[in-house]
Amino acid sequence: MASIALENITKAFGKINALDDVSLEVKDNEFFVLFGPAGAGKTTLLKTIAGVEFPQKGLVKIDGEIVNHKEPMHRNISMVFESYALYPHMTVYDNIASPMRSKLYKKDEAHIRRQVERVTKMMQIDHLWERRPSQLSNGQRQRVAIGRCLVREPNAFLMDEPLAHLDAKLRHHMRGELKEMQSSFDTTTIYVTHDYMEAMSLADRIAVLNLGKIEQLGTPMEMYYTPNNEFVARLFGEPEINIFDGELTERSGELAVRAFGQAALLPVAPDAAKVLRGGEHRKVRVGIRGNDISFSFDEVPGWLRGSVYVNEPIGNKVILVADVGGVRLSLVVPNDTRAKIDQPVFLSLNMQHAIFFCAEKGTYIVRSNAAQHVSDAPGTKEEG
Amino acid sequence: MSAPTGNTYSNTETLVDTQKNKRAVTALQTFGRSLGLGLYSLFALFPLFWMVLISFKSDREMFNTLFIFTPTLENYEAVLLRTDYFMAFFQNLIVSGGAVLVTVVAGVPVAYALARYNFKHKEGVAFQILSFRFAPEIMVVVPIFLIFQNIGLLDTYLGLIWVYQLITMPLVIWVVRGYFEDISVEVEQAAQLDGYRWFEVFIKILIPLIKPGLVAACLLAFIFAWNSFTFPLVLTGFQVQTITVTSMRYIASDTVRFGQVAVAALVAITPQLIACLFIQKHLVRGLSFGAVKG
Amino acid sequence: MAELVLRNVYKQYENTEKSWFRKKKAQKLDFAVKNLSFSCNDGEFIGILGPSGCGKTTTLRMLAGLETVTDGDIYIGETRINNLLPKDRNIGLAFEDYALYPPLTVYDNLAFNMRAKKMSNEEIQKAIDYVAPLLKVDDLLDQKPPSLSGGQKQRVNIARAIVRRPKLLLLDEPLSHLDGKMRQGMRHEIKRMHHEIKCTTIIVTHDQMEAMSLADRILIMKDGELQQMGTPMEVYDNPENEFVAGFIGEPPMNLLPSVIQKEEGTLFFTFENSPLRVEVPKRYLGILESGKKVTLGVRPMDVMVAKQTTAGSYIPIAIYENLGDERRISVRVGDSLMNMITTDNVVYERGQEVQLEFYAERTHLFDPETGKRIRAN
Repeated sequence: MASIALENITKAFGKINALDDVSLEVKDNEFFVLFGPAGAGKTTLLKTIAGVEFPQKGLVKIDGEIVNHKEPMHRNISMVFESYALYPHMTVYDNIASPMRSKLYKKDEAHIRRQVERVTKMMQIDHLWERRPSQLSNGQRQRVAIGRCLVREPNAFLMDEPLAHLDAKLRHHMRGELKEMQSSFDTTTIYVTHDYMEAMSLADRIAVLNLGKIEQLGTPMEMYYTPNNEFVARLFGEPEINIFDGELTERSGELAVRAFGQAALLPVAPDAAKVLRGGEHRKVRVGIRGNDISFSFDEVPGWLRGSVYVNEPIGNKVILVADVGGVRLSLVVPNDTRAKIDQPVFLSLNMQHAIFFCAEKGTYIVRSNAAQHVSDAPGTKEEG
Repeated sequence: MSAPTGNTYSNTETLVDTQKNKRAVTALQTFGRSLGLGLYSLFALFPLFWMVLISFKSDREMFNTLFIFTPTLENYEAVLLRTDYFMAFFQNLIVSGGAVLVTVVAGVPVAYALARYNFKHKEGVAFQILSFRFAPEIMVVVPIFLIFQNIGLLDTYLGLIWVYQLITMPLVIWVVRGYFEDISVEVEQAAQLDGYRWFEVFIKILIPLIKPGLVAACLLAFIFAWNSFTFPLVLTGFQVQTITVTSMRYIASDTVRFGQVAVAALVAITPQLIACLFIQKHLVRGLSFGAVKG
Repeated sequence: MAELVLRNVYKQYENTEKSWFRKKKAQKLDFAVKNLSFSCNDGEFIGILGPSGCGKTTTLRMLAGLETVTDGDIYIGETRINNLLPKDRNIGLAFEDYALYPPLTVYDNLAFNMRAKKMSNEEIQKAIDYVAPLLKVDDLLDQKPPSLSGGQKQRVNIARAIVRRPKLLLLDEPLSHLDGKMRQGMRHEIKRMHHEIKCTTIIVTHDQMEAMSLADRILIMKDGELQQMGTPMEVYDNPENEFVAGFIGEPPMNLLPSVIQKEEGTLFFTFENSPLRVEVPKRYLGILESGKKVTLGVRPMDVMVAKQTTAGSYIPIAIYENLGDERRISVRVGDSLMNMITTDNVVYERGQEVQLEFYAERTHLFDPETGKRIRAN
């Protein structure tokens, strides 16, 4: 139960900057997710907060107090490691009891027993007390590791990819369990992941890290609807967002995008057009998600013409990849769609939902109706 | 599993044939293997057996009997009661045990540092330590003798324990370092976050995890120290004696008392034999790395 | 040209270790593959799918000739290949780890096998010229494997397997070393490649998404036994048993243990420790009676929050997740969580009480003892 602040944290391993001037603030009781690809510096950042790694520059503050000089044991933080870091020579019970047996956080055995009972029941591992870590499955080990983290009442929980090594089914299940438990944590939590679904599902706020720098800081909806740049846009959503080059042209007084070398123009929503006209942009990059593309196998006038590159039935939906003038667009289509490879397909892009990026820098320019999307209440009003 | 051969007879025949053949082949294999192992153990154990035999022979019968003779205990009497062989035995125990103790106290932290910390020329230092084992003892023993003579360490426990570090230290450091490297740093970090001091982490988490390797390495180090011959031969005299050197006393200038040498040797190998029998399981498991991964 | 047929194939490993000194017979282990029969047509793309230890890799290795066949027949076309050496089977195999020859350039890697067969340089050049663009390795031909990325290595690996025009192409978890985004792209490439060369292909994988998206037909195996074989949509819509139902689909099908109860003349599915009641769809009325235990299977897409209030019971939402592309709602039914996926834009809150509506036509019933599907008459 504490706020955590990082100020200008810099750390290098040799010549590689693992963290490059990172500043962020995690509020009391917030569920904060650090998200990014492998090698982004997420784990290093987490360990810096825990005090087992040391920044070369910058301050770590817990509840406003600078803790750079404090030993990990005095920071009162509990952590789940990606490798679980269970004690191989101890039973599950002793592993979970360990934080309460240290001199610093000493509790009597009766209390320990109650607490271990509580968390093991919560994690559904209460039948495994006498086992050693080597006799457990990966899923069970991970739950023991989370249990050892949750058994205390620390300033903050730090969780480093706790679900990364599980198979898809178990990961899905555990994400649900975590999400449900979340409200009972009642403690500041910093959670590291590279899975966008975990990030979006669990987070109050997300920081997207890349190469040691924060790319964007905000709520899940901000990440999804108004990404700071193409990098962030590509991280969220499955299939990946389609981003293509476009050229702005005026058509009878309305702004439109010419793309794929086709005659069909893509209209720009009025509020976005205002911003785009105001800027210097002639060329833009347009991002559009797979859900926002309609398709037809019969020719429709004014629609884009392309051919089926591949189609992938994945159960509840089909991902259809269309080749439009050499650019691949992925779209989500109903699961009873059958398509032959290379057959012609006609597409219509819902430009209300397009995101415009700067052609040179790849940074966010505008999207239509941004504020409403981000408010996490898309159902209150009819969209578009 | 071998790849199928290119024979072409029909399917059912193949199956029946291979099954019959297989049974015959396994029986033959079993027999052959047992025979081979039997022959080998005969070959390996015969010198030991011969030593036990001649330890019961009197000098008279030493050269003119093979297996049939009148057993006598006179060799045992001569060695164990009439000389100070027992003293040498205990002194050897003190020296070897002391050497291993010093190695553990100093070597385990060194191994930890080599496994965990990055510093300049780390691999160089590690290799330097290992290279102590490369030098033939006879090469370094003369300068050590001269140095010890000057600083008064000749013929003392301390001197010998010190020199034995050349034998025991590299072994323990290299085995234990491997064990430390196998333990994830995150396990240590987790323990620190659990509220343990570094020293407590070391005692409560790390020591139990490296124990198999430590025990095995110590045992081997002890045996190497115990068997050391060149160092005590040159560096000891009357105050400190080791059994390897003392055993030589039974080889006099005019005659070799084989019976007594045999008794001395038998007594000398008993501690090792006992230790090996008790911790054999530890030894095999401990020296094969990666046993602690959980 | 190359039809593959397996007839009653068995594989049993023997544990010969330790047997000599315990004076036991060589210990027979359980069958790794049990009575496996299937055939695939020329040019078909088959996926063998299952959890680890289900016998899928053993099957592949038997096809390749790396394992002996304990019993049964394997035919490629008219030829029985049980006793043929791997090199005589004309099979292309791409392993999970790339196994490229590091000191050779990509070109030499591709040419290696053909050179061993003493093909002329022109022929080799022609074969590589055909295959390289298919897998987009034509720009990499001069490089050596260590300088390639994981995805590039895997493309070279597959190119090497198909360059000598095998009758059968075997892919063993080709995507498992690649990260998410790369895997997606690679999936597309493999699918395109297969479309071009139309070679009978078998892919072994534990990832149901991979099998679903690539294969024309999928074999699902468990404990060495074939569970079901069919097109992706067949196994998705019409699972033979509980295992297949739970294995295919992400998120997986909700499988809820339930008891049938009769209330006021109507049959309901009821659930332990849950107020949830679901009316039994008409098509099941003939085969279910009060008191019978069944497992009710329903896909997350086929259950939704009821738009209109009915007489049914209210259940609190346990989890509400907004994933951008879709929204997921979970409720507790007894001890397990039941997942729902919606793409509509209504926002719910945790704890909010809602009524559920099941898409009755798409529910499945399974026998809780055997896991077998209970079909409506």
